[in-house]
Amino acid sequence: MQKNNILNVLHETLLAEHGSALEMLAACKKSKKATHVFGYFEHAKDEYIHTKAFRELLSKRTRLLSSSIARKYRFNSLGLIKKGYVARQGFLIETMKVKDFIAYVYTNELLAKESFNKILMLIESFPEDCQVITDIMNDELRHHGLAKEHFLRYYPSLQPWQLRLYKFRETINNKTRKLYHKNLKFLEKIFLPLYSIFSVVISILFNYLNLHQFNRLDSNLMDISPKSML
Amino acid sequence: MFIGISAYNHESAVSLVDKEGNLIDYCKEESLSRIKGDRSFPRRSIDRILKNNNIQAINIERIIFYEKPLSAYLIPLKIASMYIPQSNSFIIHQLRNFNKASISCFIDLAKYFPGNEQKLSYIDHHLAHTLTALTYSNIQKNICSIVVDGFGDRSTASISYIKDMHNIKEIWSSEYPHSLGLFYSAITDFLGFNINEGEYKVMGLSAYGNKDSRYAKIIGKLINWDDCSNKIKLDLEYFSFYKSIIDSYSKNLIYLLGEPRNPFKPLLPKDDDFQKYADIARGAQDITIKILIKIFEHAYKITNSNIFLFSGGVALNSASLDSLAKLDFVEEIIVPPSPGDSGAAIGTGMYGYLQSTNNKTNITTPSLYPSKYSASEQSDQIEKLLSNKFRLITMNKEESLLITSKLIQKGEIIGTIISNSETGPRALGNRSLICNGLNKESVERLNTVIKNRSPFRPTAPAMKLGIAKKYYCLEDALITSYYSMTATCMCKENSISRDFPVTHVDGSARIQIVKEGSILDQLLDLMSPKGIEILANSSINLSGDPTCFDLIDGIMVCSLSPLEYLLTDLGLYQKIIK
Ligand SMILES: [Fe+2]
Ligand SMILES: [Fe+2]
Ligand SMILES: [Fe+2]
Repeated sequence: MQKNNILNVLHETLLAEHGSALEMLAACKKSKKATHVFGYFEHAKDEYIHTKAFRELLSKRTRLLSSSIARKYRFNSLGLIKKGYVARQGFLIETMKVKDFIAYVYTNELLAKESFNKILMLIESFPEDCQVITDIMNDELRHHGLAKEHFLRYYPSLQPWQLRLYKFRETINNKTRKLYHKNLKFLEKIFLPLYSIFSVVISILFNYLNLHQFNRLDSNLMDISPKSML
Repeated sequence: MFIGISAYNHESAVSLVDKEGNLIDYCKEESLSRIKGDRSFPRRSIDRILKNNNIQAINIERIIFYEKPLSAYLIPLKIASMYIPQSNSFIIHQLRNFNKASISCFIDLAKYFPGNEQKLSYIDHHLAHTLTALTYSNIQKNICSIVVDGFGDRSTASISYIKDMHNIKEIWSSEYPHSLGLFYSAITDFLGFNINEGEYKVMGLSAYGNKDSRYAKIIGKLINWDDCSNKIKLDLEYFSFYKSIIDSYSKNLIYLLGEPRNPFKPLLPKDDDFQKYADIARGAQDITIKILIKIFEHAYKITNSNIFLFSGGVALNSASLDSLAKLDFVEEIIVPPSPGDSGAAIGTGMYGYLQSTNNKTNITTPSLYPSKYSASEQSDQIEKLLSNKFRLITMNKEESLLITSKLIQKGEIIGTIISNSETGPRALGNRSLICNGLNKESVERLNTVIKNRSPFRPTAPAMKLGIAKKYYCLEDALITSYYSMTATCMCKENSISRDFPVTHVDGSARIQIVKEGSILDQLLDLMSPKGIEILANSSINLSGDPTCFDLIDGIMVCSLSPLEYLLTDLGLYQKIIK
């Protein structure tokens, strides 16, 4: 149980780190100012390095497991969107105001550091791995500091309490997100029998669907109506 | 102007075709999002293409989607409904993810490009593949088109006869779930590689396998060609993709072959189970070739054509083409540079052009580098990035090439981010990592240190036509394919090319004949007098990432790997090592 928990956490963190690498790269490409481009680039680079570190921590553990378990933790970039680490609507920089984006980075780096503390506890019996995580935590703190600096330079009218408010808001958001997913899982369990009945009904209906309707044998494919979805 | 869209199933892509049948621009969504295999609605690509070409959405006459979405949605559901209750979760998943299937193209278009959704029309999926191949063919009348993929919107393989561009008649098809493409993907999955990504690895691994081994023989029995009905027959008992969203193969396949490979365990030729997995890969590769031969024979029988367009995801299987070209009735096989679904966006756009006219049929063969890009669009933006991380060796183009050629002679590896990008999946010089193809140490460093690739996957060689003829057995029928690296060939018997580091363990190589005037051609001109006639060429990217698109991506690869040199539109750069 404990072992699976570690694997889950490492897998999810790996995706989260890759997600932030892409977020930062997107911000880098969208910036017009050379210094910002440089800053975001360096941040993206760090996040790519974190991704790689987590990939190694994960493979070290899954390599020795039976393949049926290990397969669940296989890395697939499409998981980034499927699991919401990159929003379907686009990267944050594409959907947020720059100011909110930086505030988001500021608070999330701090929250990331906190969640790494939990990972440290999970792997405390592996000193080498703990060092890897500690290094990453230092990076995240540095990112947090840089975002703060940036924030205060470009939005000087903002007071520290407003930044704390951003953090508070993000913490609540994270908690609700977790709660939402927990509830979703619970609801799924409740609704499963209902879904199953529904799928049986659908399959009965599908008996009436004749696949020959889709046959295009001997027809000119260029003549099929372009407006038809069938 | 016409826009062709491919999305939701494999890597999304967009093409822009003008009123004269020219491919104006092409862009893959993964190039911009940097998410490998990104299949989401390609709004970044559409946006870029419109901006890049100074086009207002209002001037787009028609937007065409590369499949019939309702068929693509209903057919798998219908098949799954025959396997209730095992397929329960599959059906529930399909129903709940209705909004993520291709049916939602209309909604996404309305959301991101409001007002343009009314311009949307749909094309038969295999027709999209056929038109893509036709775009790259010199002969566009009285030829046969063969499409083999996983699953389009109706069938998994088809044969059509092209009387002319407006008359393309389908004369044979193979129905879902009997799919050669999905069979190969399930074996890819069994071997621990990601579906739609690891098929190349299976192909590379198969060269180590023994065709007479027990495992190869078992695999060879799982899918076959039925001579009575002339259909592909997959033994469904061993597969699950048609009734499960998680598993592509069934427990029966595990009973038959034992444990699937652990994806995290390195696969090295010296390992205990390496041979077993190589034999399985060999079985899959051999039966794929066998069935493709049957399809080609059947196509010849029913169309009497000697010229074949070949496309669909299975046409990415470059190692099968050599055997097909050797069939005595084959005169020519035309495989588009990107025969899979992302490339199908090109034929989809062409459909808009063809439908807009009944008499004009002058489609121009597109360039091998259709994705518009120039580093000058980023030069101000990346000024600090470049000056901080790199030393500019020279801005002068001729001098850049000259110094690059000297560095290659010294054993260095060069990354290129030069003007427009390739269609993919193969890098042909503009988004490449190149080194001396005969320098074993450089090739090994490129493959394993920079790209972190499995050692069983070979790196491809690039050379001029004359050199290719000297060392390799070229098939006349595949000449165009060698220019886009879509076919492999064998080394000549007793030739020294067998020992080249760019030759695979079975004596094959996925060669690229360089196009006159291309960057690799110019480099070879400079290096040939010094005895370097072959370059190793691989796409520039980090393992698991899409091929670089812009200069920032290239700088990232340099920053995260030992790659030291970048040849760009802005000049030749060397990384400052701190
Ligand atoms: Fe990080
Ligand atoms: Fe960070
Ligand atoms: Fe396809």
